[in-house]
Amino acid sequence: MIVGQQKPFDEIWGMVKGFKKVLVYGCNTCVAISHAGGGKEAEILASMIRMKATQEGVDMLVDNAAIERHCEPEFFEPLMEKVRTYDLVLSTACGVGVNFLSDRIGDIPVYPGVNTSFYGAVPKAGFFVELCGGCGNCILHLTGGICPVVRCSKSLMNGPCGGTDKGKCEVSKEIDCAWYLIVERMKKLGKLEELFSIQPPRNWATGTHGGPRRLVYEHIMELEEEKKAGK
Amino acid sequence: MKSGSNLEKVIASGKPAVTAELGPPMSADPHEVVEKAHKLKGFCDAANITDCQTAVVRISSIAAAYIALREGLEPVMQMTCRDRNRIAMQADLLGAAALGLKNCLCIAGDHQKFSAAGKLKGHPGAKNVYDVDTTQLVGIMKKMRDESLQEGGDKIDVPPKFFIGASWTPMGDPMDFRPYNLKKKVDAGADFIQTQGIYDVELFKSQMEKARNLGLHERTAILGGIIVPRSAMMLKYMDSSVAGVTVPKALIDRMNKAKEAAGDDKKKMRELQEAEGLKITVELIHQILEIPGVKGVHIQAIEWESAMEGIVKAAGLYPRPQV
Amino acid sequence: MAVAEKAPEKATAPSVEKPHETPAGWEPNVLAFACHYCAFAAADLAGVMRLSYPPNVKIIRLPCTGKLDHIHILRAFERGVDGIFVAG
Repeated sequence: MIVGQQKPFDEIWGMVKGFKKVLVYGCNTCVAISHAGGGKEAEILASMIRMKATQEGVDMLVDNAAIERHCEPEFFEPLMEKVRTYDLVLSTACGVGVNFLSDRIGDIPVYPGVNTSFYGAVPKAGFFVELCGGCGNCILHLTGGICPVVRCSKSLMNGPCGGTDKGKCEVSKEIDCAWYLIVERMKKLGKLEELFSIQPPRNWATGTHGGPRRLVYEHIMELEEEKKAGK
Repeated sequence: MKSGSNLEKVIASGKPAVTAELGPPMSADPHEVVEKAHKLKGFCDAANITDCQTAVVRISSIAAAYIALREGLEPVMQMTCRDRNRIAMQADLLGAAALGLKNCLCIAGDHQKFSAAGKLKGHPGAKNVYDVDTTQLVGIMKKMRDESLQEGGDKIDVPPKFFIGASWTPMGDPMDFRPYNLKKKVDAGADFIQTQGIYDVELFKSQMEKARNLGLHERTAILGGIIVPRSAMMLKYMDSSVAGVTVPKALIDRMNKAKEAAGDDKKKMRELQEAEGLKITVELIHQILEIPGVKGVHIQAIEWESAMEGIVKAAGLYPRPQV
Repeated sequence: MAVAEKAPEKATAPSVEKPHETPAGWEPNVLAFACHYCAFAAADLAGVMRLSYPPNVKIIRLPCTGKLDHIHILRAFERGVDGIFVAG
């Protein structure tokens, strides 16, 4: 899922203080799991903004709402009319949600209340780790299910650098060396020799380096068109 | 000859090769490079010109390598994968070759967060590149040299002829994979290898044995790395904090003894430790050169270039062969 | 799980409060959330026994303090309550 972290309150206050009618708009999917931007967090944030406004003597109406997903129009269309009555939408969805709502609304600013951090998992409550970089060209079958693109600080493809120390990365002792993990995993899988062949330079164009990405399923789009045309 | 560099010739002659290290300054003043070049000239076959080592901005390795070359010291231009994508790398390789540089060492490079181990501000917020890794960079350089082709497949009229090097951390984790890590770099086309600093000669011996079993010593020239110790504190730091470096307790004890012999005299303390450091260095050189498959030594006298003369002479590696 | 067991970055709750001087004779306005089955029953008993407590404490009965939500506390603060007392 997408992991996010709420922006520092001072930064949020700096964004919203000039507006009269603010909607703090939560998303109940990924960012709710990471305790950053679900309905509950939106509610709390709205309350904090109201308190701050009172303390600063700023006249401001702050409401909150939440929907299940900000990345599909079906979920936010029913609320769109209400959303349009505000001067500012402070979205606590991930960056996808902020962009998508912005594009749809057009004439009302949509600001981010959350820093979208990474694609991660929750090994235990309150702890989130990045495990995928969304590079668009998966090689996990070659590396024992451990991603060197995002779990190695240098995205190395052919083995560890000289910075591995006691299985930890040179960037921080808190970070496991991905290549240490890969080698150990491949040993367990009995596939260590698969690491001995050279991985050639990668095609990064499938990631963010090829420009904004899109994915089109024409048969689904056609079906939708037909439905709309009443066929 | 692949490149015709002095280093390549010395290695081809079968005599033990000696490389040194020259760190460019954090300044636009070329004189420091010139001075260091003069201290090293004649006492090594080539000197590595580091590429923004410890992730700190310095005179670029190409420019400093060219200054060294002008002064008569053969440079080994280092190139990290941290700061350049494959377009910039190949452009720099063409440029470096056009300037007359003939050796290049491929390395991953310290992560931008390193900032001289926190001693300097550095640029920890910089965006790194890592478009290709060391093994891939070696392959690109070989393809340019031997096939006259860019990585993307475009033709090169006059290819850059480099003697291609790569680094190796034989005693880094995961240690049993390290010989294979070396093999990948050799398979990619590394003509020579410089290792991370070795203090634990026994451990290095066992890693070399594994490398020999893979036949790597016949396909590449392995130069054993030696970081000249200056103090007991430095040895302790390297043992505890430098990845892939372990220092046997006996060496630290020797240095401590030298330090204690000086009593409270600070100046003497430094002199005695430095003298002991030079002695240790010469011993390490002899021990490492005795290991089958080792073709030379890479001596790093960090910010102590003047020590090279004494070391090389004491080790019986002077004068350097004229080839 | 082969990932580090310690969270690298700690998320801390931001403070919205600015410290200020307390005026003389000021009494805090306290809201008590009390569980129907214990704390509220105790308060009730106190009333029956004619025991008095300061008038600046207001009690809200909850079926269980487990019902208490962040927003109840925040709403109270928004409306000028100075302190919250939860008993259950």
